[in-house]
Amino acid sequence: MHGDELPLFFYSDLFIKHPEVRDLFPVSMATQRSHLVDALVKIVSQVDSVDDLTAFLQGLGRDHRKFGAVAEHYDAVGASLLATLEHFSGPAWTPELAADWKAAYDLIGSVMITAARADEQLRPAFWRGTVVAQERRAFDVSVLSVRPEPHMDYLPGQSVAIECPNRPKLWRYYSMANAPRPDGLLDFHIRLVDGGAVSMALTSDEIADTELRLGPPVGALTLREPASGRDLLLVAGSTGLAPLKAILEQVTAFPRPPRVRLFFGARAADGLYDLESLDKAAAQHPWLTVTPVLSAAGSGFAGETGSLPDVVARHGDWYGHDAYVAGPTDMVQETLARLTSAGMAQDDIHIEDFGWSEP
Amino acid sequence: MTTAWFDEQRRLSPDELQSVTFPMSRLGRRGYEEAAVNGFLRKVHAEFVHLVNERASLWQDVQRLRRRILAGENDGGPQAVLFGEADAHVHAVQILSTAQVTADRYVADAQAYSSRVTEEARRRRDDIMRDAQQNSDMILEEAHTRAREAAVSALNVAPPQTDTERRALQAELAYLRTYSSVYRAHLRAYTESVLRGIEEWERKDAGPQREPDSFHEPALGHADQRSIGY
Repeated sequence: MHGDELPLFFYSDLFIKHPEVRDLFPVSMATQRSHLVDALVKIVSQVDSVDDLTAFLQGLGRDHRKFGAVAEHYDAVGASLLATLEHFSGPAWTPELAADWKAAYDLIGSVMITAARADEQLRPAFWRGTVVAQERRAFDVSVLSVRPEPHMDYLPGQSVAIECPNRPKLWRYYSMANAPRPDGLLDFHIRLVDGGAVSMALTSDEIADTELRLGPPVGALTLREPASGRDLLLVAGSTGLAPLKAILEQVTAFPRPPRVRLFFGARAADGLYDLESLDKAAAQHPWLTVTPVLSAAGSGFAGETGSLPDVVARHGDWYGHDAYVAGPTDMVQETLARLTSAGMAQDDIHIEDFGWSEP
Repeated sequence: MTTAWFDEQRRLSPDELQSVTFPMSRLGRRGYEEAAVNGFLRKVHAEFVHLVNERASLWQDVQRLRRRILAGENDGGPQAVLFGEADAHVHAVQILSTAQVTADRYVADAQAYSSRVTEEARRRRDDIMRDAQQNSDMILEEAHTRAREAAVSALNVAPPQTDTERRALQAELAYLRTYSSVYRAHLRAYTESVLRGIEEWERKDAGPQREPDSFHEPALGHADQRSIGY
């Protein structure tokens, strides 16, 4: 049986029986179908470790709030899941099997619904975020300033899923590029990914004044033991700078900031879209050193040239530092490998993979 | 020529078989007229074929209904079984699935296309930037060379009795004048060529803008050249 047939049948069955549910999904269902299969595989493979499975399902339940899922949808989904299994099982499908599956699904559904209800007490399903300023820094990088409503609490280094009104139901994660400020505004650094539906909409000029939807803040690329006083190594590739800049702002407010060494890498000079403000900060704070890195040599460039992981490794011994690394997949993985092979403990290296590759 | 005594258009009935009579052949020969008998046989043959087919098709129907009733402990009861709601639903699911997969492919195609366009734009931009950099390096270099020559000749033509400082200043002035005029001339020429390049690019761009529209064609069975890995 072709792997896509089962989810295809499932969603078609669901939408025929409950057409109103179709509105919760994007136009193209291709990614959605593989998500469904991944989730089912994960659930089945973790059936024996109840704690992990419960945590996964609770997260899934909370996560589905921003998509607009409500308790009634869970029954509809359960019915279609059973219909799908029956359709593909043929004569092997028995009333006993059906009853077992229904019991299992009801349990899954109730864990998700309970987690979603508990979450309702804590925060909204999504925040409305108005784009109050848009600044194009390079031909493929924009900085957006967004006012969330209501006020959003988050940790520097965290990110939110963003949905844009002209790309309905497509959510993409972006990191806040600033520590929480009194005015509550959030900065986002958006890089135009080739063929990326959401990044294209977010970097277009029409994004000014539009109202985005923001999911709850998530992510673990946050300062570990903020008061430890250990020196920091920050390695940012392209817009991977965003979460690291938020962390930098956070330590700037400390009474005694640690020493911070920031490497900011890009392909060409205009990819160092935020160097001006970083240089200004470095001039102001003796504890901060900023090193711009270009992968391709250009005339009149004062920083380092070479691949970002190479340059970071070349700059010596990072033992005793806490490292935070964010950017394109290859760059993050390569930096991680170089730092660990140079003797840094895996626990001291915190990474955020932005999921795209530099062309 | 004889007219058939039976109606060839009507279907044959059992009564008709019982009451059939044929005209006697003419010219004193014994027996029925051959053409009439042949005509009747044709009709009997057609009727037989018809009945055999009808019987086979009815038998299939009976078998199918029998199977459904035997398996029929569905929620909808025997009525749903007889009216084939389950089949209709599966059919609808298949139609919707096909429509969804088609929509998915269009979205993927549009995305692949937009990806190609951005990549192309990125590459062209890199080329233009590299050219601009090389050009500006060249302009600077030439302006420096020419200015240096001007300064040297200013030193040579200056009257020998003036003091060193004045000669140095004159040389410096000549250098700067030449540098600035050469630089400006080159910059103007280069800027104009870049503008021409952009105008030409825009003109070209205005031409082949039809391609994105092809995504709107309602072509369900449209042979797809841009399909990417499904």
